[in-house]
Amino acid sequence: MAPLLLPLLLRPVARALRPAALPTLRPAVATATRAFGSLLGGGIASGSGPARPRLLQPPRSAPGLCSCTCGGLHTEGDKAFAKFLTDEIKEERKIQKHKSLPKMSGDWELGVQGTEAKLVRRLAGERITVTFNINNSIPPTFDDEPPEGQKAHEQQEPELTSTPNFVVEVVKDDTKKALVLDCHYPEDEVGQEEEDESDIFSIREVSFQPTSESDWKDTNYTLNTDSLDWALYDHLMDFLADRGVDNTFADELIELSTALEHQEYISFLEDLKGFVKCQ
Amino acid sequence: MSLILRNLQSVVPIRRVPLRARIEVLRHILGIRQFDLGVICVDDKGIQRLNRTYRQNPTPTDVLSFPFHENLRAGAVPQPECRDDFNLGDVFLGVEYIFRQCQENGENYCDVLTVTTAHGLCHLLGYKHSTAAEWQEMYHKEKVTLEALNEVTGTSLQPLTKNLFG
Repeated sequence: MAPLLLPLLLRPVARALRPAALPTLRPAVATATRAFGSLLGGGIASGSGPARPRLLQPPRSAPGLCSCTCGGLHTEGDKAFAKFLTDEIKEERKIQKHKSLPKMSGDWELGVQGTEAKLVRRLAGERITVTFNINNSIPPTFDDEPPEGQKAHEQQEPELTSTPNFVVEVVKDDTKKALVLDCHYPEDEVGQEEEDESDIFSIREVSFQPTSESDWKDTNYTLNTDSLDWALYDHLMDFLADRGVDNTFADELIELSTALEHQEYISFLEDLKGFVKCQ
Repeated sequence: MSLILRNLQSVVPIRRVPLRARIEVLRHILGIRQFDLGVICVDDKGIQRLNRTYRQNPTPTDVLSFPFHENLRAGAVPQPECRDDFNLGDVFLGVEYIFRQCQENGENYCDVLTVTTAHGLCHLLGYKHSTAAEWQEMYHKEKVTLEALNEVTGTSLQPLTKNLFG
């Protein structure tokens, strides 16, 4: 298989797996684990006859059951799947830009929990926090017809970039409310750069929220910028820029988010491989 | 009507509020506040792409204007017949180019940004500088506009095309 095609082929599949395949996989795993446990329990604890010979016998009655004692199903399809994943992981590692997450300019402290990242900085009596989640953060690619004389598989594949929505919270010391600004990257499809006149990022909503761990309130007034006076909007953008959230920050956040997404993607593939191989 | 600022680049920092304030004064002086206007800040790459596409000139530059109303007589404010035509067009500022020029010439970036925008606005109003006669007309318009701005803001800005045919 052409290595260039691998990410394109597998990525949508990996995302499609979540809603469709996981629910059907889960009961199968659970059943296999339970059966394995009862076999062991019968053989060791009770020492009764029927269980022990069954453990030692080859799995004649259930073709596809493995010899690795996990009791799970191992089909030819699973083997091919695991082999495919091994190749895919190798390819992804090869094109991985950052072996560790890139640093943001300025004194931002990064914390990562799963797919969620948090950047925090303190600035003269204020705490600024930027949060984003890399799940579903890669916009769809724009599939152009290949130019005359160029086959589809020869086309340069667009680089995947993660452009997550991000939330900026500004908290002044000694206050119990945070000014929350919900920021987005433009939603244009990748490959449609021509004539693009959108800001690198925009503020969508602004509200005040409690700083405590309690849930944010929908009943708090939320300023939507769709119909906002442009002069007020410019003040909000300058307000963010003064706190280090400007176009340079937004560019670097894309870099960070893309690296984190790729890291999580590879990690997911490894988990998937382990799951399929029953490691 | 609206003045929309866009910043499509991250090479040079842009303060939107002061830039808007000065452009609002320019709109007032030029009598074009009833028109929508877009001012878009781009880097060398962005302005170079536009310059190549629309002027067949593959180099970066300081400003490109895209009038909504074409073939205007110099200085004639458009007379739209419908609401949608209350649009003057877009001015693209090559802010990376302008910033570099300012550093080389020891000029104030914010001031030059204003002067360049005034130049772009004059283009939207049909002014050109291809010939000495056209330039004379445009230079005069820029001069009186900036003099009026100087009175309001206390600056001493000079037209961009000052020495073009001098």
